[in-house]
Amino acid sequence: MLVLDLAVQGLITGIFYALMAIGLTLVFGILKVVNFAHGEFYMVGAYTYTLVATLLGVPVWLGLPMAILVGALLGYATERALMRPLYAGYVSWGGMKDEYAIIVTFGLSLLLINLVDKVIGPYPYRGPELVEASRVAIGPLMASGHRWATAAIGVVVIAGVVAWLRYSFWGKQIQAVAQNKLGASLAGIDTGRVSAIVFAISGGLAALAGGLLAPLINASPDVGIFAALKSYVIVVIGGMGSVGGAVIASLLLGVFESFAAVYISYDYRDTFAFVFLVLVLLLRPQGLMGERSREV
Amino acid sequence: MGNSETRIRVEFWTSLGLLALVALAPLVVTNLYWQGVLVVCMYFAIQSVGWNLLTGYTGQMSLAPAAFAMVGAYGTGLLSYHLQAPPWIGVPSGVLAAFLIGCVLGRAALALRGPYLALTTLAFAEILRLVISNSYGFTRGDLGLNVPGIFDDRLADYYLMLGALVAVQIGVFLLLRSKYGLFLQAIRDDETAADSRGIPVVFWKTAAFALSAAICGLAGGLYAHFARLISPELGLIMQTGFVISMVVIGGIGTMSGPIIGAFLVYLLSEALREAGGYHLVVFALLVILVARFFRAGLWGLVRALARGALPPAERA
Amino acid sequence: MAVLALEAVTKRFAGLTAVDSVTFAVEEGELVGLIGPNGSGKTTLLNIMSGLLRPDGGRVLLDGADVTGLPANRLARRGLLRMFQLTRLFRQISAFDNLLVVGRALGMDAAEAAERAERLFADLQLAHVRNLDAGQLSGGQQKLLEFGTCFMRPPRVALLDEPFAAVHPTMRQIMADFVRRRHADGQTFVLVSHDMPIVKELCPRAVCMNAGTVIADGPTDRVLADPAVIEAYLGGHAA
Repeated sequence: MLVLDLAVQGLITGIFYALMAIGLTLVFGILKVVNFAHGEFYMVGAYTYTLVATLLGVPVWLGLPMAILVGALLGYATERALMRPLYAGYVSWGGMKDEYAIIVTFGLSLLLINLVDKVIGPYPYRGPELVEASRVAIGPLMASGHRWATAAIGVVVIAGVVAWLRYSFWGKQIQAVAQNKLGASLAGIDTGRVSAIVFAISGGLAALAGGLLAPLINASPDVGIFAALKSYVIVVIGGMGSVGGAVIASLLLGVFESFAAVYISYDYRDTFAFVFLVLVLLLRPQGLMGERSREV
Repeated sequence: MGNSETRIRVEFWTSLGLLALVALAPLVVTNLYWQGVLVVCMYFAIQSVGWNLLTGYTGQMSLAPAAFAMVGAYGTGLLSYHLQAPPWIGVPSGVLAAFLIGCVLGRAALALRGPYLALTTLAFAEILRLVISNSYGFTRGDLGLNVPGIFDDRLADYYLMLGALVAVQIGVFLLLRSKYGLFLQAIRDDETAADSRGIPVVFWKTAAFALSAAICGLAGGLYAHFARLISPELGLIMQTGFVISMVVIGGIGTMSGPIIGAFLVYLLSEALREAGGYHLVVFALLVILVARFFRAGLWGLVRALARGALPPAERA
Repeated sequence: MAVLALEAVTKRFAGLTAVDSVTFAVEEGELVGLIGPNGSGKTTLLNIMSGLLRPDGGRVLLDGADVTGLPANRLARRGLLRMFQLTRLFRQISAFDNLLVVGRALGMDAAEAAERAERLFADLQLAHVRNLDAGQLSGGQQKLLEFGTCFMRPPRVALLDEPFAAVHPTMRQIMADFVRRRHADGQTFVLVSHDMPIVKELCPRAVCMNAGTVIADGPTDRVLADPAVIEAYLGGHAA
């Protein structure tokens, strides 16, 4: 049945979107700035998975934990080298800390894209599938084996991360810093550590998404740009800083795009997300589940 | 005389000096290819001036300058392709289209700050690009659109672009050295306080968006008639990244920074391209380093050196 | 006709009533002290008076005209100027330009604005820092400059939000003397302050707020001796 198929495809896409968006949401929740190099974490993950799986002669699935590791390290390094100044009373950019974050992460994005372009090459790399079955039926639904596998992995990881954030020691620290950084640091929480962890998580999750999608969307230097743009949309729609909102928005966007591509316009299927973004920012800037901030 | 005015004056005249050098360059640079490179430098320089006005002086973080250049290019391109309109109608129309869309963006984004604003402009830019790219029936999409040239002689193109750059720079100078320049900087530094002290914030924020868009539209319109082939790639976020890099490296929030940055970054990128192509890596690194460690950019470096060379009594 | 009048002004924030039907008027030439414990709604009221917040109910009148809901910059040009408790200066331009821009925004031409700015710098003893970027000034100098932005053109009413808080005694004295001089010339002020000695010294009249309402309004001595006021400061909680 077409509708069911579209819905499932949309949900699966939504799961990947969620992997991208959760990390970005956490980063925004903690630092209140957007990381414009987020898409490049995805790209690095895609390449890591592909290169490990094809060149190192190890089982294909090992590419995934490698991707997560590389992504996490990259995230951590980014935070330490570039984001520290944001809360160390950085004088030079004064009140323009948003501009600083945007410009410096933009630079990082350009750097990573062009570095990969030069070192590895601009041509797309095809990543091997996890499960080499092109059509697997589960009940009335049909999708490729790889898609089912990646969706399952995605769901498990997302559920795990959400639970970890809510119940674990570090997860609670993260929530505390996101809600009130000054208060958290006064209570003895090492906000610098928390920021580093959050960045590492965001890098790891994005890289995982890149790895999972590598067989479907070939890895190329600029593959991350589009993934990132979708993440920004989701983070805002979901409510900047709200992980639950990001997950819901991801699934909604995935499903909506799936239907819109068939029933409204295939050509413009990518525009909808941005139109959504503009509408949400104008009508309800706090997103689905975010908090309204008082300006004065 | 206010200090902002003094600062802007010095920066302006320095930039004119640089542009005078550019005017004389064809005497030395006779190679057509490199003359073309300089024209592209000017294309980026005009956009840089426009973006700097909005982000460096008014504090509104925009990721849309390339999209507005694309609007300007397609404005004149489509008019000439479908209606055979001459460039002297096409280019101003492109500028007008960019101006109006810039007004819309400005008004829409009034309540937004920081990353919210940046993301809205990003979404706006992508929507514009995707619309042009997907309407291939009308715009020929990714196939590109052929646009007739204004002149047959490359040097004529050269001086037209230079004239536009000088005109824009003068216009921005007159604006910034007036009280309106102070209004914009006040809005940048503290919008709420500016509002409380009598500055019409809504008007000037919208105006800054519209003017910046128009300037970028002019760059795009003239570029269309120079390159004679345009595509939606003009509006890619990567192109905006170029413009941002140029202004940041040159010195954001100054009158001379955008010009220095545009010429330097693009010329070096061309020179390095011959030498193996790591130019973009180098520039991305420069952007990061400048933003992280030396926000004042190259212009700041020049100022620091000049200060060091003056006897203590002269230092402002 | 009162210079500034508030009629049943109310403001709610997500279930909390920060300002509850506040009514009072300030006559020409008065120096009114607005006091009350933290959280009593003073700053919210000030934000409503200066046009930064829209009240949910009631009206604000300036020189008899209903200015409720007008943007802050319109109010400023009509002569209602305020200073902020936490200084909000234009940090990347010079101290001089900080005053110049206000003068120009209020309609002065370049020469007049420059001259007034120089005179204010002299009055506030800040002339020596006039060319420094506002962000480079010391905390006390920034406070003085913030204070000065209200006076480029004699305002119809100047709203001063805690000018004396955390400020070096010398600078307090400069501001207090300035206020006293201008008041003697007929300038209208509303002064929000926690500094009781200064309020007693400068303000003939005081209005005390607690939990969003006005609990006392009259000659300062009487208000400060009012048991409800004392209770509010010592025992009561704000909302």
